Amino acid sequence: MQMTAAVVTTTKHPGMSDALEREARAWMEDPLSHFGMSNTRIHSVPRKEAEAVQLAALNLRLEQRRTEIPVLAKLADAQGIRSLAALEDAAPLLFDHNVYKSYPVSLLAKQRFDRLTQWLDRLTPHDLSGVDVSACKSIDEWLTLLQDRTPLDVATSSGTSGTISFFPKSKRDYTTSVRGFRAQLVQTFGNAPTQSDLHDKIHVLTPLYRDGHSSMGRFAHYLREIFCLGDDSYLYTAFSHKISSDLMWLAARLRAAAAKGDVTRVDVPETLLARRPELEAMQKNAPAQQSAFIRKVATELKGKRVFALGTTPMFYEVAQHGLADGMRGVFTPDSVVMGGGGAKGLVLPEDCDRTIMEFFGVPRMRMSYGMTELNAFTVTCEQSRYHFLPWVTLFVLDPDTGKPLPRSGVQTGRAAFFDMTHDGTWGGIVTGDKITVIWDTPCPCGRSTVYLQGGIQRFSELQGGDDKITCAATPGAQAEAMDYLLSLDL
Amino acid sequence: MSKRAISYAVIRGKVHDADLVEFGGRGGDLRFFAPDPQKLASQLPLGSPSRMDDLYQLSFDEILDYLEELGKRLDFGKNAYMQEACELSYHTSPATPPIVRGFYTHMPAMFDRTRITQWCEMSVGIPYLEGWVETPINGSIVSIRAYGARALHVIAGNGPVIGALTLIRSAVTRSDTIIKVPSNDPFTTAAIARTMCEFAPDHPITKHLAVAYWRGGDQALEQKLYQPHNIEKIIAWGGLASVRHVTQYIQPGLELISFDPKRSASVVGADALNTDALLRETALRIATDVGACNQTACSSCRVVYVMSGTDPAGLEKISRLGKLVYEGIMGLPCDLSNKPKRYDPQLKSHVEALRLNDDWFEVIGGQDGEGAVIVSRTSDTVDFAEALADRTVNLVPVDTLEEVLGAVDSYTQTVGVFPDTLMPLVRHKMVLHGAQRFVSLGYAFNGPGLVGPQDSIEPLRRMCKWIVTERPTAALKPLWERKEGETALVA
Repeated sequence: MQMTAAVVTTTKHPGMSDALEREARAWMEDPLSHFGMSNTRIHSVPRKEAEAVQLAALNLRLEQRRTEIPVLAKLADAQGIRSLAALEDAAPLLFDHNVYKSYPVSLLAKQRFDRLTQWLDRLTPHDLSGVDVSACKSIDEWLTLLQDRTPLDVATSSGTSGTISFFPKSKRDYTTSVRGFRAQLVQTFGNAPTQSDLHDKIHVLTPLYRDGHSSMGRFAHYLREIFCLGDDSYLYTAFSHKISSDLMWLAARLRAAAAKGDVTRVDVPETLLARRPELEAMQKNAPAQQSAFIRKVATELKGKRVFALGTTPMFYEVAQHGLADGMRGVFTPDSVVMGGGGAKGLVLPEDCDRTIMEFFGVPRMRMSYGMTELNAFTVTCEQSRYHFLPWVTLFVLDPDTGKPLPRSGVQTGRAAFFDMTHDGTWGGIVTGDKITVIWDTPCPCGRSTVYLQGGIQRFSELQGGDDKITCAATPGAQAEAMDYLLSLDL
Repeated sequence: MSKRAISYAVIRGKVHDADLVEFGGRGGDLRFFAPDPQKLASQLPLGSPSRMDDLYQLSFDEILDYLEELGKRLDFGKNAYMQEACELSYHTSPATPPIVRGFYTHMPAMFDRTRITQWCEMSVGIPYLEGWVETPINGSIVSIRAYGARALHVIAGNGPVIGALTLIRSAVTRSDTIIKVPSNDPFTTAAIARTMCEFAPDHPITKHLAVAYWRGGDQALEQKLYQPHNIEKIIAWGGLASVRHVTQYIQPGLELISFDPKRSASVVGADALNTDALLRETALRIATDVGACNQTACSSCRVVYVMSGTDPAGLEKISRLGKLVYEGIMGLPCDLSNKPKRYDPQLKSHVEALRLNDDWFEVIGGQDGEGAVIVSRTSDTVDFAEALADRTVNLVPVDTLEEVLGAVDSYTQTVGVFPDTLMPLVRHKMVLHGAQRFVSLGYAFNGPGLVGPQDSIEPLRRMCKWIVTERPTAALKPLWERKEGETALVA
């Protein structure tokens, strides 16, 4: 799918050669096409070259976005930064992930979507000032309206502190993300992409929702476009409904109240109460849908090449049921099963991966690390290491001071990123994740790109609390919220 | 080589420093050594409850004599144990060295004889601690006495005074006491206990105290120790997780007294903003309750509801108040408040996110980890209100007192109120919602100390076992002499 390139109207940057600027603009605008959708070419750019392009792109984006994103302008002005001489200099300009929930929560309770739109407008280059949201009566309505009227496709995520963040992802951002998945997952590294890799209609299985405003809901839409080439019958989701953001917000507040032992009643907006019958109908047959889904997968996708994207605990559950029913080796061996995530406190059994591989019939499990706030997802290589796409700049920050750690040796700290492809927002983000990077030793898999050593931990989790309702915990949280909603006496 | 940091175990008059095992201080600041808890576990409990009897050979005056003497011996200038513990606590305490040193220097004042006497008189009544108090009721003489219990205290480490407070409470109630010290204050209580061993090794109060460190949640040890045949009461301070953890051992015969995690807030009435002089005074009062002990206490103010109103004039007032509060915090004397040791990075990321969002929040200060004032521009508290620490306060403008009540619950300990005329109304309404302590704003740390109820319970009374004796008077006719129809049983 081709999107119109954003118009970048800046003058040539001093000290930047024409060739470098051309390269940077190509990466910024459509890196996948620039690399011919080739996974091998993408992951073969020497690090030095990639970093030179990254620095050029950072400067171009800063110049462009500071005029378009007021919050970035404020931050850059406060830091006195006009341009960047080295990648490290960008660290003070990366947004903390909390920025995307830095609105007073009463605005949601009072359904002040007009003021929330103004707030969001300060975080995106797209102009939202002309969008009339006065008729919106719920988060779902508000986000759907923005989806219809603007280039944005705002992504939500819920924390257990009782808030919900709104990340101004654009449709173009989602497309970049999912094309990145297709390039990295479908092709074998070292081989040029085949016509089939590039153009085949591929079955996708994702044991989640068919739509929604959280990325785990909305991804389904873009997977259908990019993997299934728009063919709805090629997309298999566990639930046929759209995950409700209003229900997620209620779930987040219920969990926040439970976490602090609060016994006071959580107030629910009238508009959400009014949607009870609709939401109830949606939720009601979720467990039935899930078991029907498992049967359907095993029969309809038998012997097919399938791309399964989801979380490991969910795949494990599917695999266990399937094996119990005597099914195994369901997909062709060139299929891909990509897990990840997992809920806190949920210990996966030792035979987890083996069970999944046995049922689906794939030689190994792939994993992915990414987040709503980043277009670029990493996937694991043959050595089970997460490799970053070359158009993403990775920063490892000192967890205490927030200062960037040296880009050499082995460094452990807080992950932060600048993704030059971002269209809906600035693209610089500081995460809550603890990672370790080996800078100087290339990965034996042959990829030249930066990779992580071992897994990812959340700082909040390390300190005893976790502020996220993970993908795996979402259906449970939705069910709890629905139960609560139904228990209220009107 | 510098001396090793040792958290001594002091058990019933004997100091233990053999079989040392290494433990880590919180935040990785300091590793320290403590005697292997597994090897000491069997020595911690008293054994037979009959051994409590020696405490009853003491008069209340003799208990006060002991505490008075102990107070004198804790004189920081002369007590090498305390000096060593203070030096080590600089590395483990969440508070900064000048504040820790202040706590140590002022500790003898906690042992003031008059203060302890008045406190016991008010909280329990000394006659109940000394003997049987008789009251004639319904033809019987009812005698009541407060006995001590065998108690285990899991104390908190946010200020190095909780050990001393526990010790005083235990002595006056004639309790047998095991204190589990926390990893962020593993030295202070043992230093006090070592002082006790030095001046009165065989005194019953010394003999009824055991102080030790073990890792909270050490199942092997706790399962053995937390049993009704060893202890009758557990007094637990601390976070939700640690209190919840202790509850698994609670069973008939073993009671939990819990000082749950608490937070504190303040209310400022519109009248406190009327003149520039009042505004300045209000700011200093807020700054004091926020800054004192670097906001490490449960009574530290974290959110202030200001009845300025949310109209433009009100927002301008609260913004000005915010700037004055910031100046006030920065101007506090350094043994009361100073730049935090380490500004919580999670909190910092929240504060920095709001700084970019001046539509709804104004962030004053905080660039240098020195503390910050966040002024809300709507009547919303920040969504990380529970994580406010390191001298970071949120001022929230409200139009009515009713809006504040929603934010008060059983986690609300201290409420600072200004002006005082607002007190009767605020107090009554907030008590119904769960608040537990009311002070004139600015005096959260400047009062009698923890002498009365704490968190809406009476710790001294709860630490006692309340025993009753009933003796008939001549006027009471025995049941066996009553005819059918005359019997009246009352409950």
